[in-house]
Amino acid sequence: MKEESSSFLKKRTKKLLDSGVRARDQKSSSFFQKTRPFVLAFLAAWPAHAHHSFAMFDQTKTVTIVGTVKEFHWVNPHVSLWVYTAPANGATPELWTIELTSPGNLTRAGWTRHSVSPGDKVSVSIAPLRDGTHGGGFKALTLIDTKQVLTSDFLEKPGLK
Amino acid sequence: MKRLAACLMLAWATVLPAAAAELPDWSGTWTPAVGDQMRRIKTDPVPWTKAAAAQIAALDAQEKAGNPRGLFIDCLPEGMPSWMLITHNALEFLFSPGRVTLLGEADGNRIRRIYTDGRTHSPDPDPSFHGESVGHWEGATLVVDTVGVLPQAYIAVSEAVGLPNNGDLHVIEHLHLAGPDTLHDDLEIIAPHVLTRPWKTTRIYYRQRGRKYEIVEGVCLEGSFTPGTDKNGNAVFVPVPQVNGNPKPQ
Repeated sequence: MKEESSSFLKKRTKKLLDSGVRARDQKSSSFFQKTRPFVLAFLAAWPAHAHHSFAMFDQTKTVTIVGTVKEFHWVNPHVSLWVYTAPANGATPELWTIELTSPGNLTRAGWTRHSVSPGDKVSVSIAPLRDGTHGGGFKALTLIDTKQVLTSDFLEKPGLK
Repeated sequence: MKRLAACLMLAWATVLPAAAAELPDWSGTWTPAVGDQMRRIKTDPVPWTKAAAAQIAALDAQEKAGNPRGLFIDCLPEGMPSWMLITHNALEFLFSPGRVTLLGEADGNRIRRIYTDGRTHSPDPDPSFHGESVGHWEGATLVVDTVGVLPQAYIAVSEAVGLPNNGDLHVIEHLHLAGPDTLHDDLEIIAPHVLTRPWKTTRIYYRQRGRKYEIVEGVCLEGSFTPGTDKNGNAVFVPVPQVNGNPKPQ
């Protein structure tokens, strides 16, 4: 994606980056320079928000992302989670987008719209995007501070509690 | 004479709307057996025509490669029969005099009105995503006959693989409890432009009573907007321009 991105993308990218800077180390300009390519790649690969197939995710693989929640969108038809990785040795943080099922299905799996909040430290297992960009389909999440584990697994039987 | 009277009584009884007290209890929320949906594609293969099968093979290949466009990314309703065939979301039944209503979750506009008041089909119903459904009760089984479905409505085997019915679609369903909390929808799908013969298959739904299983609002297009603020400080939704589900550069 080139510089002629939409004004929306520019605004959204700036919003993401600005708050990412606040969340991390206040080195705004260097952070922006380092992170911009990652963010634009992420936006280009942003999966369909409309109701879509999950075939873009490679379900045979599992990637675990450890980092800090940037945003959590509790929205139909697919909930989204953005996580900044916390790479070792001063490497550039990466922004990953993770797509989940619907709010209704997550509610049945024990979630609420407050289950995950910006700033939470998390470990998230995902089926990665096949094209290699930083995103994936949700498998499981651990809130590192509380050790709470959240999944979106559906049991297929009647009379569930 | 007695036999004639009995036949007339029987015919009369089948067209009369059943009293609510006589109807089975289908209350609660019904969640689909998604794993079984996938298994049934193998056990009850779709009798696609040769031309349709070639298109399905191409869509299958795209899905396996991980880059399908998807059938429902435009947020139009799945419609009939795809809603019943591939939904991953819950549904519920409302019984009222002369009618059964199905309400679905997510993607908006998932609603089926099944008239059980003894009517017959309209001579020329306006085509719609869910078609015109007329039903009657045979004991505890709801038999539903659906016509008037838009030719554009898909016969889907997944969210990425399926074809428009291309017209003259006719769906016959037998909905019944197969256990205290298990409901079967036995479908017969007649689509002469894409199928070589009627496709018979079953979809299974499980009853849930827990409060967290109740249907929640689900607006498909909501994900195409992001919360924002207008010049007067009002909380508004701002559209996200998209191409095939990705933000659109301008």
